[in-house]
This record gives sequence, structure tokens and C-alpha cells, in this order.
Amino acid sequence: MTTRNLYHSKPAQWAVYGLFFVIIALIPAFVSDGFLLNQFAVYGIYGMLALSISLCWGFGGILNLGQGIAFGLAAYGMAMTMQMQSQDPDSNPIPPFMLNNSLEHLPWFWQPFWSTGGGILLALVVPTLFYVVFGTLMFRARVSGPFFAIMSLAMLSAFATLILDMQPYTNGANGISPPSPLSIFGTDIDPYGPTAYWIVCGGLIAVTVGAKLLTQSKFGLVIQALRGDPERVRFLGYNVALYETCIYAISGFIAALAGCLWVMLIQYVSPAQLDTTFSIGMVIWAGIGGRLSLLGAILGAFLIQGGQSYLGDQFLATWLLVLGAFFIVVVRFLPKGLAGLLEKVLGALARQPGKHARSDLPHAISGAPAAGE
Amino acid sequence: MTSLDIAPFANALVLGLSIASIWLIAAIGLTIIYGTVGVINMAHGEFIMLGAYTSYALQSSLGLPFLLCLPASFAVVALVGLVIERGLIRYLYNRPLDTLLATWGVSLVLMQGVRLIFGSDPKYIAVPEIFQSNVEIGFASLSVFRLVVLAITALIVAATAWLFYRTRFGMQVRAVMQNKEMAASFGINADRVYMTTFAIGAGLAGVAGSLFGVLAIVLPTMGTAYVVQAFLVVVVGGGTLMGSVAAAGLTGELQSVFAFVTNDTFARFLLYVLIVVFLRFRPRGLFAVAKGRR
Amino acid sequence: MGVLEIRDLHKSFGGTKVINGFSLDVTELTLCCLVGPNGAGKTTTMDLITGRQKPTSGSIVLRGDDITALSEHEIAQRGIGRKFQVPAVFRELSVRQNFEVAYSREVNPFRNMLRRRPAGFSAKLDEVATLTGLKDRLDVEAGFLSHGETQWLEIGMVLMQNPAILLLDEPVAGMTESEIEKTIVFLNELKRTNTLIVVEHDMGFVRQIADVVTVMHMGAFLAQGKLSDIENDPRVREVYLGEPEV
Repeated sequence: MTTRNLYHSKPAQWAVYGLFFVIIALIPAFVSDGFLLNQFAVYGIYGMLALSISLCWGFGGILNLGQGIAFGLAAYGMAMTMQMQSQDPDSNPIPPFMLNNSLEHLPWFWQPFWSTGGGILLALVVPTLFYVVFGTLMFRARVSGPFFAIMSLAMLSAFATLILDMQPYTNGANGISPPSPLSIFGTDIDPYGPTAYWIVCGGLIAVTVGAKLLTQSKFGLVIQALRGDPERVRFLGYNVALYETCIYAISGFIAALAGCLWVMLIQYVSPAQLDTTFSIGMVIWAGIGGRLSLLGAILGAFLIQGGQSYLGDQFLATWLLVLGAFFIVVVRFLPKGLAGLLEKVLGALARQPGKHARSDLPHAISGAPAAGE
Repeated sequence: MTSLDIAPFANALVLGLSIASIWLIAAIGLTIIYGTVGVINMAHGEFIMLGAYTSYALQSSLGLPFLLCLPASFAVVALVGLVIERGLIRYLYNRPLDTLLATWGVSLVLMQGVRLIFGSDPKYIAVPEIFQSNVEIGFASLSVFRLVVLAITALIVAATAWLFYRTRFGMQVRAVMQNKEMAASFGINADRVYMTTFAIGAGLAGVAGSLFGVLAIVLPTMGTAYVVQAFLVVVVGGGTLMGSVAAAGLTGELQSVFAFVTNDTFARFLLYVLIVVFLRFRPRGLFAVAKGRR
Repeated sequence: MGVLEIRDLHKSFGGTKVINGFSLDVTELTLCCLVGPNGAGKTTTMDLITGRQKPTSGSIVLRGDDITALSEHEIAQRGIGRKFQVPAVFRELSVRQNFEVAYSREVNPFRNMLRRRPAGFSAKLDEVATLTGLKDRLDVEAGFLSHGETQWLEIGMVLMQNPAILLLDEPVAGMTESEIEKTIVFLNELKRTNTLIVVEHDMGFVRQIADVVTVMHMGAFLAQGKLSDIENDPRVREVYLGEPEV
């Protein structure tokens, strides 16, 4: 097993990632249809979400079924920011849906969103902070993996029902639809233009590079170690709960960023963004694409969401059934997803007869280490 | 305080008991499965849903009276559970997170399968007239059917307790729970124990579904509403029968009281936050499964 | 005044008293073997020292600092390392990566995010890999190592961690004769720079490495001294062999 598998070669990996970045950056050069561009950008968002799950679950071993908390809360924050951009403090201070709900004053927690910078900052910080608190509570208590997964799901559903029910403040099931696109430094960002696409593209590339460097750092190594044996890691001197909270919060931050960019593209948010099926869907993308491969997870999201849009509503029930069945097969036989399949194939190609660098047999027989002293 | 003042509060307490019984019967199948096999079955909600559809189908095609639909649903869903355990779950026992995900896949398949067969429109299960009226207990008012659910829950808990603590099978289950290898060395077929327990857990979910199909309408998506609640009972309870009874009672009453004080949604949010804090101090739940040292 | 002082330790699990007023002084740069019949409380004592369990009462003092209430990683940071009975290594990571994680000079997660190869690591890796004989196996996934190699990997990891005090729980369990020979040489070498506490059953092995032997019985201190003294102690014989024949 000392032969080199191309899959594990760092330069090869970066080359593939680089190629991927170039391809997605060049898309607007070939696609001029604004609607399609917007659709591709949304896939980019899904890719970011899948990546965040891969970081937390694949590398850290923390199954998070409630990633929608960060995504949804940030999306609402962004929507609130964009909504307030179209309001005027003197002539038109209150969003129309609030007037419909007989509110006379802007609620206190909407006030900070008058400021665009402040609003976006809150949209990113508040969900991340929640993750820090929730993670600290759960990880310091050393709650088991499945229990943590369920609690994340419970909190997701709690937030969803809360937002749904606070009709006057959040417009309930109807959601918030800011009337105009996001305006930054005086310019409108057309959701159907290349600028919006490149912002998302840039976000995806930045997040991917950051995440990849993170996994290659000492921090990333400790995270992978604690996935396998957290107790051993503790005995080596590392504060495991702190590391787990860090990776969980970083994953949440990425999801929050995705949420902000999503509203920039779609100009709408509703409690559906906190749907349990959607959050678990992110896990399915990462699972099928490859939870231990950042790029694998991203491509998994592209594949599944792309397939779903292509098949449309008519075949939705069948599509979901097939997806469910395929997911079962992947979990059962391909725990590392399609990326894992590639790893195996490349590994098999590397181990061709006559190319053995060293046979494992002598070690097993003698039991004694072969190196000289 | 006059009786007029405490009446609504007492009503909330009685309602809390009814809510607790619903949580408990939804969770009991899951408790058995988690407590014995250590599997968190994400398809549990769909087992509930299948129970409801079974009752509906038996009633509409064969005209089976409701009370007979209950054991019939048990049998049918238990069979489905058996197939799933043999076909999938048993290969994933040492991978708890993967079992969670694989059973999510199963839930998707079951939900969409039912949708394709029965359609997405709501179905209704008929119950005898007598169950549809209300009854007064002191100053609290409760529908008769909710009392029936309460009674059936109590019956099922008693039967389950008897099964696990008074029969030979139950002793085998408890032995396997403590130490699988040692139990096997005494001739207990752990494989069979797991299989049977999973089937029983599924069957119980089916019974719950038949009852819920009356309380709410029958839809392919009805299971998802009960899944989170059922999981929380298991998490808070710790995975034992006693734990689930205590957890269901506690959370059911708390939810009712909170809802009485604020509103329904905020009550749920508050309760979930409370559970998170509780887990911080007692991560294994109220009455956790006593597993032997590996 | 030893480097590690255990004072009147008590530990009960439910109703069972496992440690019953155990006290011990460990002198710096010695190898102390902890022996005793099964159930004497040796592994529990290790658990208590490393923070895996908390004592019901009593104190553990490391170089004057009370570490009784600290958590595992805090105790580890203060210089106590442990090698487990069943080798605990990271099976999905390569041997090199195992060593890298074990090199825990820097435990702050944020600083670790910014660094890849800490200073001094390569030299130490070379040293430890040579010593444990794993120099040619650095890129092998740890799960594929033989049992003996896995034991050496864990020993190597603890060396990378380089704790002042090293706790070893049955380090030669499952090893071949030659591997045990090698371990004896290695431990005697290590005595010169580290303090060691070794739990063992194999008296032949104990004879070759121990500076002092402590016998535990029923969670309490029974006897201590050189192995030859211990072997002749009537109380020890009684505990191991039962009542002497008349």
C-alpha cells in the first residue's frame, strides 16, 4: 500500500480544483441567457452548502441535519436588509406586509437592517453565533453523534415553526420578497446578470480554497483524527469540544454566506428554506458526491439538483423515489460516495503488476520492523 | 381561586396528558428499536404513515371495523420492518450515523411510493360514532377518541413492559442489549433478536399511525410531523421504556402548560431549547440504556 | 516529594468501591511498575490520573499543581501521556499523519489553522520513526499495520507527544519475544529522560525494567519496593496465591 494513488497527490488535486474554478468562471462567456446564468449561480449556492456539510460531516464526523438554520436565518437577514433598502425612513418606513398585519412601528429587531453593511454583517454573524453556542453546549456535554443529529433537526424545525408563526414580523408562510435587487455602493446587482454570477462564483471559489487549505492544515488533521477516536485526541492534549465547535461554526458560516448570496439571486425567502427535507437534502448531495471530497460534494449537489430541475414536477415523486433508493445504495456500498469510487479506480490503476514498490509480505511474517537501528 | 379560574389550567394539564400519550405511542416503537439495536430509524415516521394507510386501505376495500384495523396494521407494518431490517439495516449496525442516513433514504422511498400508489389527496379513516363525542372529566373536556388513545397507549406500554421484563424473549433482548457477544456465547441468536425487535418496533409504529390517521388526516407526508417529536422522547428519555414514559409525560405536560401561557409555536420552541440545555447536563438522557463495557 | 503524588484516592461506581484509599508517590525519572491481581484497580487508577474518571475523593498532585478536577486534555497538556491496553491509533490516517497529530506542542485550534508543519517536527518524526521501526511504513494507513506495528505506532505517538510522565497499560500484550526484548531496551533508555508508570502482569518483563514495584490490592496500596523484596513479602504471596499451606 505504499504505491502512490494519484487521487491522493496534492498537486494533482489542486490542478483539478484549478480546472474546475476556471471552467465555472468562464461560463458567462458562453452563456448569455440571464435566466440560465441565474440558475447556474443557484447551483453554485447548493455547491457551497454541500461543501459546508462535507467539511463538518465528512472531515469532522459531525452529522448536522439542520444546516438550514444557518442558511435560512442568514437568508432572512439578507432579505430584511434588501427590504429595508427599498424603504425610506421618512415616507415609507414600514414594509407593506407589516402594514397588512396592522403593525404601526418597525419592530426593534428589524431596526439594524436599515444599514446595508450592518444588515449583512448580522445575517452572517447571528447564525454563526448560534452555531457556536449550540455547538459548545452539545460538544462539551459529549452528546453522541446520532443524538446531536436529531437535536440539530429539532432546532431546525423549531426555528421553522417560529418564523412561520411570527406572521406580523416575518410575513409567515408568504415569506419576504424585497421589491428591488440588492444595491451595493449605489449600484443595483442584477440577479440575471454576469456580476451576480461572478459574485457567487467568487464566493464558491474562495470558500473552496479556504476549506481545502483548512483540511490540509494541522487543524484539519486533528479534526480528522477526532472523527475516528476523539478520546485519543483528548489524551494527546487537544480540547476536542473546542475543535468540534470550530469546524461546526465554520461550516455554519459558509452556509450563512450561501444564504445571503441566495437571496441576492432569488430576491425571496420563506420558511421553506428551513424545511427539514431541504437540509437533509444537503447531506444527500454530499453523501452521493463524496463526503470526504470537497469538490465531490460540490459536484454531487450539481448532479442531483440539476437532475431534479431537468425532470421537473411531473416526475418528482418518481425522481425522489429513485434518489432515495440510490442514496440507500451509496450509504450501504459506497460510503465515500462517487469520489470514493474514483479513488478506488485510481488506486487499482496504480497497483499494476510489476509496479510494486514494496511487498507487504515480509513484514507480516517476521513481525519485526525492517528498518535498521 | 374559584373553579372558573383553575378550569382552563386544569384543562391544559389534562390535555397535556393526552399530548403525552400521543408522543409516547409515537415514540415507543422507536424506543424499542433504539434501546435494543442502537439504530435511529429515520423511516419511523413513514412506518406510522404506513399504519395509517393500511387501516385506510383495509377499511375502504374490506370494510374492516376500526378496532380490528389496529392489529392488522401492526402485522403489515411489522412485516415491512422485517424486510427492511433483513435487507438493509443489519449490514449497518456498527455505523450508527450511516444507519440514520440509510433509513432516511428508506423514508423517501416509502413516502414517494405511497404517493404514487394512493395519490397525494387526503384520506380519512372512519371511527365508530361513540368515539367522536366529547366527555367531561371534572372541569376538563376531552374528546372520547383521545381517551381511547390514552387507554391504548397505556395498554401497549404495559404489554411491552411485560414482553421485555417478564418473558424469556424479553430476557434475551436485555442480554443482547448488555453484551452481544456474551449473549451469543450462551446460545442466544442475537441476529434473530435484532430482527424480531425491529419488526415489533415497526409494528407499534403502525398501530400509532392507525390512531393518528383518525386524529389527523391521512397524507403521504403525515409521518414527518411525528418523527422529530418521537426522536426527542427517545433522546430525552435515554432509550429505555421507562425513560420514554417519563420523557413523554414531562414534555407533553410542559408543552401543554407552555402553550397555555404563551402560544403553541413559542411553546414548542421553548421546549426544544429546554431540551438542549437539559442534554448539556445529562447527555445520555433521563434513564439511559445500561450498556456493559465493551 | 515526588513528581506525582496521589493522596488517599477513593472511587466508587454505583455501589461498588473500586479504589479504597490509594496513595502513591512517584519519583522523577524512575520506572514504577503497578502490579496486582485482576480487579485490584490498576486501570482505574490510570483513568483517575489521566482524568478519564473523576475520583469520589482524594487528590492527585503533579509537580505541586492539583490536577484532580481537570479534564483529560488539560492533564495531557501538563505532561501526562498514556498508552492504552488496546492500541488506540487513528486507523484511517497514515502512520505519518498519526505521528503528526501526536506532535501536540501547539493545541490552539486557531493557530493550528494557519500552520501546516510545526517547527521541530521533521527532526522528531525522523527520530521516532527510526526508533519504532516504522520509517518505511510512514505512508501506510494505520489500520493496515500488524498488531505489533500498531503497538509501536502508539508508543511512537506518545513519544511524539513527549510527556514528562508516561503511563503504559500492559505495553507488551500480544507482542512476540523479539518485540518484547526491543521494548525492554527502549523503556530502559526512556527512563533516563521521562518518568514512567507501567501496569503489567508479566513478572519477567517487570523484573527487567522496574526501578520500583507497587502492589495494589482491592483498590488500596499493599506493598512497594524492589521486585525481589515484593516477591518475598508474605502479604503479597497471600494475595496472589491464597492462604499459605500449613
